[in-house]
Amino acid sequence: MLLNEQEFIRILRSRLEGTLPKDELDDIISDYAEHFSIGRTNGRTEEELWRSLGSPDDIAREIKAMHLVKKAESVRSAGNFFHAVVATLGLGLFNMVFVLVPFILLMILLSVIFLLGIVIAFAGLAGVIYSVLQILGLSDFSVWLSPLAGVFLSIGMISTGLLMVIGNYYLARFCYHGCIRYLKWNISVITGTESEA
Amino acid sequence: MNIQFKKGVLEICVLAVLAHKDCYGYELVNEISKRIDISEGTIYPLLHRLKDEGYVTTYLEESAGGPPRKYYRLTESGRKEEHEQKEEWLRFAASVNALLEGKNDAVE
Repeated sequence: MLLNEQEFIRILRSRLEGTLPKDELDDIISDYAEHFSIGRTNGRTEEELWRSLGSPDDIAREIKAMHLVKKAESVRSAGNFFHAVVATLGLGLFNMVFVLVPFILLMILLSVIFLLGIVIAFAGLAGVIYSVLQILGLSDFSVWLSPLAGVFLSIGMISTGLLMVIGNYYLARFCYHGCIRYLKWNISVITGTESEA
Repeated sequence: MNIQFKKGVLEICVLAVLAHKDCYGYELVNEISKRIDISEGTIYPLLHRLKDEGYVTTYLEESAGGPPRKYYRLTESGRKEEHEQKEEWLRFAASVNALLEGKNDAVE
């Protein structure tokens, strides 16, 4: 592969096309083109300039991750969040541990609370129906507590379940904000290249 | 020095150079890579981020015998940020140095 400006720009552009809006992409490309042009005037070869800039693939990965995190911050959605996490994961081996593991644990925690809330609420609902049937004398299957207590207990379960689901929603929102801040920090500190270049 | 650390201080370095004078990209990259060994390419994404955050603005200026160059300039909030980060860094560095020197004393 020829290490010249044309190739550098081509790689950078092809990696970023489709992710970045055109004006932002052109702005970034123009910076690197200017860098090569001034460098040449100062008597450096394109290959030298390429080597000190670093790999265009790494640069593109970082710009992409930065852009996707910014997008997830301004437009909150599970999809945008997921893309931002995946792009940040791609920045290096380090992130496989320091982004992926916390991310998976968080997802598990949120899912468990959600499912538990749903299960408790539905169990409560079933309890209410059953207890009412008992009070009306439509079911003579006896349980360990009085039908009236059953109604109250079941309503308590429904409320608990719903509270868990609602609380989970707020917890997820809170985590979303925290995760975005963490990803931003991560990108600004972790380098794409892990070599001692 | 571990490259992971270097990137973390890149932002304050860029802000500090720009606090001194407006720079075009190549000039800024040179100022920094003269002292810190880092992939120069990562400075441009950083500049874009700083622009997004409103710490720097850009303007074009004619250069002698060449196409116009894009200059980066600190905004008011960029100056404030530079000042805060610098203070924070100096305090931190002073503490680390004190600890390092204290440790050497103990060893001697």
